[in-house]
Amino acid sequence: MPELENPFQETLLSRHRAEPCSVVIFGATGDLTHRKLIPAIYNIAAAGDLPPQFKVVGFARRDKTDEGFRKELEEGNRQNSRQGHNDELWKSFSQCIHYHRSEFEDLEGYKSLAKLLDQFDAERGTPANRLFYLASAPEAFKPILEMIRAAGLNEGVKGKWARVVCEKPFGKDLATAQGLNAVVAATFAEKDTYRIDHYLGKETAQNIMVLRFANSIFEPNWNSRYIDHVQITCAENLGMEGGRGGYYDTAGALRDMVQNHLLQLVSLVAMEPPTDLSADSVRDEKVKVIRALRPLVGPEEVGKHVIRAQYTAGSVDGAPRVGYRQEDRVNPESQTEPYVALRLMIDTWRWQGVPFYIRVGKQLPKKATEISIHFKKPPQVPFATSTMLKNSENTLVIRIQPDEGIALRILCKQPGQAMSIQQVKMDFRYSSSFGKASPEAYERLLLDAMAGDATLFARRDEVENAWRFIDEIENAWHKSDTPPTMHEYPAGSWGPKEADDLLRADGREWRLL
Amino acid sequence: MPLSTINDSDLDRLGLETPIGRIDRALKQLWEGDEAKTRASLINLAIYTEDGCQLVADNELLDHVAAQHACRALLILALPEAQPPRARAWIQALCRPYQGKQIVCSEQISFVLEGGDAAQVQNIVFAHLDSDLPLVVWWQADLTKNFEERLYSRIDTLIIDSARWEDPARQFDALLAAMNAEGGDFDLRDLAWTRSHFMRTALAACFQDATACHNLSKLQTIRITHLKGQRTTALLLAAWINQRLKASLSVELIEKDTGPALQGLVLEGEGVRGEVRRDCDSCFVRVSATCGEHTREDLLPADVDSDAELVSELLSRFHGSTLYSSMLPFVRSMLK
Repeated sequence: MPELENPFQETLLSRHRAEPCSVVIFGATGDLTHRKLIPAIYNIAAAGDLPPQFKVVGFARRDKTDEGFRKELEEGNRQNSRQGHNDELWKSFSQCIHYHRSEFEDLEGYKSLAKLLDQFDAERGTPANRLFYLASAPEAFKPILEMIRAAGLNEGVKGKWARVVCEKPFGKDLATAQGLNAVVAATFAEKDTYRIDHYLGKETAQNIMVLRFANSIFEPNWNSRYIDHVQITCAENLGMEGGRGGYYDTAGALRDMVQNHLLQLVSLVAMEPPTDLSADSVRDEKVKVIRALRPLVGPEEVGKHVIRAQYTAGSVDGAPRVGYRQEDRVNPESQTEPYVALRLMIDTWRWQGVPFYIRVGKQLPKKATEISIHFKKPPQVPFATSTMLKNSENTLVIRIQPDEGIALRILCKQPGQAMSIQQVKMDFRYSSSFGKASPEAYERLLLDAMAGDATLFARRDEVENAWRFIDEIENAWHKSDTPPTMHEYPAGSWGPKEADDLLRADGREWRLL
Repeated sequence: MPLSTINDSDLDRLGLETPIGRIDRALKQLWEGDEAKTRASLINLAIYTEDGCQLVADNELLDHVAAQHACRALLILALPEAQPPRARAWIQALCRPYQGKQIVCSEQISFVLEGGDAAQVQNIVFAHLDSDLPLVVWWQADLTKNFEERLYSRIDTLIIDSARWEDPARQFDALLAAMNAEGGDFDLRDLAWTRSHFMRTALAACFQDATACHNLSKLQTIRITHLKGQRTTALLLAAWINQRLKASLSVELIEKDTGPALQGLVLEGEGVRGEVRRDCDSCFVRVSATCGEHTREDLLPADVDSDAELVSELLSRFHGSTLYSSMLPFVRSMLK
């Protein structure tokens, strides 16, 4: 039966339209499914955006019934759903949730999954698309993908699509990422592969392109002629609570945050305008930025441009905190960095000579992710003294979280007889201006994956080029005879003194958040 | 209704009475000395009514809408027949807490204009806009009076509620004339149309799968159950269905005395049936699609019916659509 356009769909033009599908979540008993994925799908349902006859199948090792699985998820949804929990909707929605028990390496489990999906298709009266979501531990990705292929689940049924969504971390270095990409590529085409980076699903991250390319006042100034430098801060006021130290100590801030989230933000800030808004046009431009990052090779070069540090005992918000090496499940002699600051240079025409300073850390004074664009000072202000103009450059701040918004710092004359200059801030806050809450990043990204829009997902070459850059730093830290020093900072401070020196050496300083 | 018949307590709800010439100064004083408040504004939202009974409801509506959409709110009650001519104004802040520590506020200016004419309305509106922000006007009064080119040519978005019109044919004619006139390129939003959004979305879901879609050509009848006073809402829905199907399905409207504005929609033909049903107190609709032996059911969200929620919803989808305008000739012909 040929596909016909549904004439009534015009109503939904302003939204992403998810195509009819079944979603299979691998690692369905994990935290991510309970806290993020099911609440996201529930909220998509609450907005009326789920396709009809939608099914979600939880795939995991533990023994459970459909009903038992739904009960567990209901509890998670009550606690985590953005729009609250409605019993009537949950009752109807939960009927689309099923549980399938299997070991990840057991081919028979995948064959019976295929039968279950076929059974859903038979009930629908038509075959549906299939979305496989890898929410398991990363070491299980490879066997899951191999078994999906062996069971023939990677082939869409009767012209329908089959896609895979891969959670982070996507590899732990270039070699493992390439290995994983090879396994993914043997199972799914790149166009059907969605590597999730939830930062890209955040409203303000999406707004960076709108801000830059839809406002004619910014783009002409968005280059080395007018911009002095860029800062990106991702601060956490937490440490290794909830047993997180076990995983974190094998990764560190560079791998856990910089390789994915922060380099994605750098590429959004630094990219050239895409020719259109298709996934590949946008990602083509983003990957050019990652490729143009000036490599940091060898311990000397890395030590000059990258500061790594661990926190020592201190206090955050008045509460005492232990040092990183004293944290639960952290190696007491750990050489993993919960803090890193970098000076990046992007070797393109637009960004020649403009440093991008990035810092990310745990146990900092507050939780905030912000990008700040620091414009050059005017050549001369005849009526102002140099003290008046200290720290006075125009700064455009893009707040990613919390309190998403945009602020512009400008100079004004202070009221009065004297010619005094004062910094003032024009501040736009999403929550003050738009009463409606933004959808959670996972809602947007899941809907995009179901609708076939990969714009907000990382492409293979983006991931590999990012690892290529990161690996050089990791090698200098862990494989050289003269590794750069691991610095220290007291928990609750804004990081080590050496990170301040990194900017001070360039005549700059970190923005006060 | 002359001002003397409006209850004083109703006027008290409009805030602080202020001489019209001192509104700007009074607004400024409203914000001075209270640093805990943040003033926010994305649009100018004006409501124009000639019905004094609407004053309280409109005032409450603006309070509700401003909580969702920061705005400069203007409430204008014009009483053209009242004598002698007199103009009064009130100001107030519409505030809501934000993250428990900060108060975000919009401003509202209310006017009661006795006597006066279209020029007076225009002057009042244009003198009290927050500059550089779009102007959204909900015109609740008769479009054949006071709704002049000099006014609508400055409007970015015009909101109407065609379900309220006593003589929809005449009002649609006036509206179409304005839209076709020079300066009539405003974005048009009809609450009666917004009211059916959830029904249209549910209907789209109903015929989403291939089997149902293939049977669309067999449909013959449309049956819509609606609340008394929402006939135009139902007609707009029927017109949309016929326009989308490029067909002339027969239309049956069933009127109920109570319940939500739109309560049921059934599309039927040989071997095919699609139904969207909304129960009285439910915020969901039940959708069922039957093609031959095969029946599928779903539960989907329904929009809230209140005018305040509808205006909020409408302002959330700010980008314009030509769909409604393209349907107007269909609706107009159904009204004949």
